[in-house]
Amino acid sequence: MGSDDGYNFVFKVVLIGESGVGKSNLLSRFTKNEFSHDSRTTIGVEFSTRTVQLSGFTIKAQIWDTAGLERYRAITSAYYRGAVGALLVYDITKHLTYESVERWLKELYEHADPHIVVMLVGNKTDLESERSVPTDEAKEFAANKGLFFLETSALDSTNVEAAFNIVLAEIHRKVSSKEVIRGSIGAVSLNSSRAESTEENKPCCRNI
Amino acid sequence: MAKTEQRNGLDMWGSKEKVTDNEKESYGSDPVVNGSAIPGEKQVDRYGFAVDAHQYSRDSAEEIPIEVIRQREAKWLEMLKSWEAKKHKKVKERCQKGIPPSLRGRAWLYLTGGKVKREQNKGKFQQLDNHPGDPKWVDIIERDLHRQFPFHEMFAARGGHGQQDLLRILKAYTLYRPEEGYCQAQAPVAAVLLMHMPAEDAFWVLVQICEKYLPGYYSSGLEAIQLDGEILYALLRHVSPVAHRHLKKHKLDPILYMTEWFMCAFSRTLPWASVLRVWDMFLCEGVKILFRVGLVLLKCMLGSQENLRACQGLYETMELLRAIKPQYMQEGFLVQKIIELSVSEKDIEKEHHTQLRRWKESHGDLHCKSPPRMHGAKAIMTAEPPTWQELRQRPTIIVDSLLPSKTDVIQAEDAKENGKTQEEKHKKMVLPPQETGNLYLSPSDPSLLLKQLTIQGSKESVSSAEHDTYL
Repeated sequence: MGSDDGYNFVFKVVLIGESGVGKSNLLSRFTKNEFSHDSRTTIGVEFSTRTVQLSGFTIKAQIWDTAGLERYRAITSAYYRGAVGALLVYDITKHLTYESVERWLKELYEHADPHIVVMLVGNKTDLESERSVPTDEAKEFAANKGLFFLETSALDSTNVEAAFNIVLAEIHRKVSSKEVIRGSIGAVSLNSSRAESTEENKPCCRNI
Repeated sequence: MAKTEQRNGLDMWGSKEKVTDNEKESYGSDPVVNGSAIPGEKQVDRYGFAVDAHQYSRDSAEEIPIEVIRQREAKWLEMLKSWEAKKHKKVKERCQKGIPPSLRGRAWLYLTGGKVKREQNKGKFQQLDNHPGDPKWVDIIERDLHRQFPFHEMFAARGGHGQQDLLRILKAYTLYRPEEGYCQAQAPVAAVLLMHMPAEDAFWVLVQICEKYLPGYYSSGLEAIQLDGEILYALLRHVSPVAHRHLKKHKLDPILYMTEWFMCAFSRTLPWASVLRVWDMFLCEGVKILFRVGLVLLKCMLGSQENLRACQGLYETMELLRAIKPQYMQEGFLVQKIIELSVSEKDIEKEHHTQLRRWKESHGDLHCKSPPRMHGAKAIMTAEPPTWQELRQRPTIIVDSLLPSKTDVIQAEDAKENGKTQEEKHKKMVLPPQETGNLYLSPSDPSLLLKQLTIQGSKESVSSAEHDTYL
């Protein structure tokens, strides 16, 4: 899965979406290649990392996961801080979870960096027979909102790598095209304003 | 089904805490529901957890000699018979030592005032139970039923009665307090209770925890937990300046590490033996126990420069706090540290006052004004003194004592209390067949007792339990 020593960038990516859509399993599938039908409800924050290679750069993806239930949105500002990417997940077999997507987007833009890279993810494609959200409809919605879009299955791994890699690649592209300030060994911020910086202001490795 | 796919050499690890489940077999009460069951073959530890479930089977429990357990049981039975606020010091000491497992459920019921609540609300739970519930809440609760302690035999089977009972009591709560609804962290709390007592009792204890011990924790807005996070952080400054400084330096918001700790009362963090000891003290003394546990863990993990050397940033600190070293969570060590740490209710209330003021300055008034919390069993009893009838134990099976003289004395006492005649009282007793011996009966023939005992019994006569069973 890539070594954790020596990386050029750290990108913080958050997983958001309704309870039960599969955020925790997307996290475990991507970072540990694991899946469980009975993974515990997320209370508080879960997180994991995976290092990937992109265009010759070593990128440490720091993926954060939290509870999807409505009332947990009250505690999300700490969660969104410094996030440069987001996977907004719904369950293709539960239309209600797709209907909340607009609200999640609103929440996201209220708390996160305006340049945040967002992908709409329709999870649980292994349950095709129970589908209640047509692919084309979601695809069109994503296009209208300027979001990436993929359908995945954390259970059988379909498109999970792709989903994260696309988001990470896009973040990298944005980061390389702007001046970036690296915070304390932690995540890279897309905001080029100096006011964002924390104690250590080291220029990041630039893409030549 | 997905089961066969999972056997493809794919790891079956669950979430981050590395609870293993190499084969998705059910060992719950309704194995047929889970498909691939081999009933009776799964190994479970003394608490009911699958032996490979690392977090729980790492048994760091203290081994207590059976005679000591028997003595403690006798003392607890005595205390439960005459439960009153003025004996609180004794109760507290005994809770600190750990409640004997056979009486834990009942003790928790009494400590929390759940017993009294149940008596005052006869028929209420049945009413709530029979109601279909708000479909919105039921749907959300149902999504969580298989996600609570899935490696515990009680909750492993989908649709098994562990999960069903979980649904019943969580649904009942949303009907009992519709303005509160359901919060996911209530599920693990409810599950722990169900491991020790039947659904109705667990329901009332849950009510007490949500309303007296941790008011506002599960409410919309989650303001109470955020405030407690700030209190925890503030208290840390005195307990471990090094840890406090580190958290401050890396701007680690308390909500990022203490949420699951407090909302689930550490039931998802500590090894099981420690969870039970912490709950014994928490239900006796109130939320200060949770604060003490948090402070001990923070101090142990972040309180020395050595530990912090490798801990360069916010994320690394979070990782450290998520992987607490086993020796710090071990039952003996942890309980000792909790008792030693001198953080009191006053300290917490004082800090609460300060943090509330700060909160109002930045957030405005609280949206959700919860009643002030009760700091444990004594406070609850003092606030709402129960009647003796409400405290009276009602065993469902009563065995007539083999010692007529003693029986008469006790019956006479009871009769006096009840104002009933001895005959009337006697009629109410149900006599099971003589063959089913009551382990706790003092027989006229001691050898009879020894024959009936299936375990090495204590020679001490548990006379206070003559009319008692554990049912």
